[in-house]
Amino acid sequence: MLENTLKKLATADPKKMITYPLIVFLVALLILVIHFPTLGTDLKGGVVITIHGGNADAKDVESLLKAENFEVTVREIKSITGDTRVEVRASTDVNVQRIIELIKSKYPDAAISQTQFGPSLSRTAQEQSLKAVSLAFLGMAVVVFLFFRVPVPSLTVIFSALSDMTIALALMSIFGLELTQATIAALLMLIGYSVDSNILLTTKLLRRKEDTVEEAYFSAVSTGFTMSTTTLGALASLWAISQAEVIDMIAAVLIFGLLADFMNTWILNAGVLRWYIQRGEKK
Amino acid sequence: MNLKKLLLNGRVLLLILVIVGSILTIIAQGITYGLDISGGVEITVQLEKPVDQSTMEEVRISLENRLNTLGVKDITLEPWGDQIIKIRVANVTEEEANSIIDTINRQGVFYAEFNGVIFATGADIKRVDQVSYEPREGAWIVPFSISKEAAEKFAQLALGKVGYPVDIFLDPPVNSTLIVSQEIYTLMNSNEFQFVPDAKPLPQRLKEAFNIDVVPYTNQSVEEIAKLAQGKEKVILVGVNGELESTLKNLGIKVEKREPRAGEAADEFIRRILGLYGPYRLQEGLTTGEPHTELAISIGGSKEDIAAMRQAQVVSVVLRSGSLPVKVFVEGVNYIPPTLGEQFRKQVVQAGIVALLVVGLIVYLHYRKARIAIPVVLTSLSEVIAILGVAALIRWNLDLPSIAGIIAAIGTGVDQQIVITDELLGGRKKEKITKRSGVLKRMGRAFFVIWASATTTIVAMSFLFKFFVGGLRGFAFTTILGVLIGILITRPAYAEIAKVLLSEER
Repeated sequence: MLENTLKKLATADPKKMITYPLIVFLVALLILVIHFPTLGTDLKGGVVITIHGGNADAKDVESLLKAENFEVTVREIKSITGDTRVEVRASTDVNVQRIIELIKSKYPDAAISQTQFGPSLSRTAQEQSLKAVSLAFLGMAVVVFLFFRVPVPSLTVIFSALSDMTIALALMSIFGLELTQATIAALLMLIGYSVDSNILLTTKLLRRKEDTVEEAYFSAVSTGFTMSTTTLGALASLWAISQAEVIDMIAAVLIFGLLADFMNTWILNAGVLRWYIQRGEKK
Repeated sequence: MNLKKLLLNGRVLLLILVIVGSILTIIAQGITYGLDISGGVEITVQLEKPVDQSTMEEVRISLENRLNTLGVKDITLEPWGDQIIKIRVANVTEEEANSIIDTINRQGVFYAEFNGVIFATGADIKRVDQVSYEPREGAWIVPFSISKEAAEKFAQLALGKVGYPVDIFLDPPVNSTLIVSQEIYTLMNSNEFQFVPDAKPLPQRLKEAFNIDVVPYTNQSVEEIAKLAQGKEKVILVGVNGELESTLKNLGIKVEKREPRAGEAADEFIRRILGLYGPYRLQEGLTTGEPHTELAISIGGSKEDIAAMRQAQVVSVVLRSGSLPVKVFVEGVNYIPPTLGEQFRKQVVQAGIVALLVVGLIVYLHYRKARIAIPVVLTSLSEVIAILGVAALIRWNLDLPSIAGIIAAIGTGVDQQIVITDELLGGRKKEKITKRSGVLKRMGRAFFVIWASATTTIVAMSFLFKFFVGGLRGFAFTTILGVLIGILITRPAYAEIAKVLLSEER
């Protein structure tokens, strides 16, 4: 079945091939315009108190704290392994120590971790993130150009990375993942993964003159699929086994991005490249 | 199998050397874990406004001195840029973390005390001048000036008391009961803290000035100690072992415990607990009854005596600390209980192993060849070992984002090994005979892809490394390290191994 799909793709009209990923990209943009992922505590400021174990229950915690007039939001996060953790969020001006005391007296066995980010620190983090992301993206673009030195393929690789990041962001918004320093790092890592598969495809199609375009495409797809599945496998095990939030979030964002990259490399980029090669042949 | 030829290949040899070196380094140095794994608290302190380097250093020393009185081990203070100080304390309980935060938030409280009377507080310190060396006295000098009222009060107190001890305190444990070991009690009452027989001994000065009771521990019952603690803010157990701490806590008494640090002399230990600097011997010129607003503390030692100079600097900072040069705020707190960190570490190790197995399995399913799957897994494993080796060597704090970075690097590593494998395999399927030039050309193409993607990853991650203050530098660092080790060492070696293994198959 997969082979048939691939055959269809390899012989499809390049312009049609390009349309679908572009639509997905636009939809992702639309989602981001309507609902951008919420900023995490480290970018927005605030307090997060996490209760690990100890049979804590989100509803009980909430009523416990509301009884003392704390303005908090409480949610429960279940992992695959069946462990739950309860997350209490509040603004920076609450008395964190009192909240922890209350929780401790009710759940003496729980391990409680806390994170606080003041307003100016989170502002700094925001500025740094913006700077890091934009410069990393520019740097990537320059490197891609230097390696290929041809405008159309280079631009496609760059757009592909941009689209991967945009779609991953949109998926974050849909699944309620927050934009934190950790997820931003993962988004930047996507640049690396995205360029990986795209460069593979571009090199094979443009430089491998001994094969036909279809053959080169097949060979690239076969390599690319193995690459992506191994990476997805590794990330999925990381996500499933670890309960540390940082790791879970990084893994999830990379998974989103890799899925987007499937489409962007093997349909969008392949489409553009075939169109580019056809045009070259006509000339 | 042409094992000998393979082992003698330069690239393979290099890989083997790197792995052996890494393992040795890891064994010798051990791996330093970040706070999110070892447990502990990371506090981000923000200064009110950007400051120059010397002011930053002053604030750092001042905070360090104040935190040192808390009796918590392993405090590191690290300035970041011109406005932030990161304070990391490993392995602390919730309460210890909170008292650290409290201390930072509070202004330092400075007292100058003489013979049981406080004659000046932070508000009375008008100016502190540069520390300098005075060759005539053979001492390092900290000149400072105090208010007129304090000077007058001091002149009266000091009249005729040549050689008496003058104490200065920073954040002393006001209104508390100290239960001290016999040995420490004796030392507190000794000449070390008294200088002249007529002066009041240190415990008496503490009692009169700060309502601190010093009680030697002679196996009193818990009830007796509880009685001593009545009306006091807290009980501090100083070098007293046993189960007093928990039993007193159960009675609802606030208890803190202080232990000497490794290599800490008993008198240093006492000074640290009390936040005491000095005592300094009262010089004759100040005992005439005349008020002097210009004073100086001198610390004997030669010009080359770094310890004496350092001590003088500390005193200067302490004098100023009643009013830090800039206000500081606790902006960020990240607390991880030690037990939880341990759990995270286990899970990450498990996840890493499972990830490697999954990768191996997928590679096997794709090629149906164990002789590809096993080298791929082993190469990735060697990459992990090499990254850990470098991390151990430079004592990089391995935190959770760093570990995620290692796994991300492994992900790209496996990708690139597959590119190499496919180029090698693809060549044979088509041409049936592998021409030497064909292999070279294919390898060249594989390595073009590898170098291009490695360069982009490194470029992207460099910006993350440069611009982030937070823990995510670790992610960037290990990713870059992993990619570098990959393209320079493991990938070339894998290519050699794969060439041999795959050509033998036919």
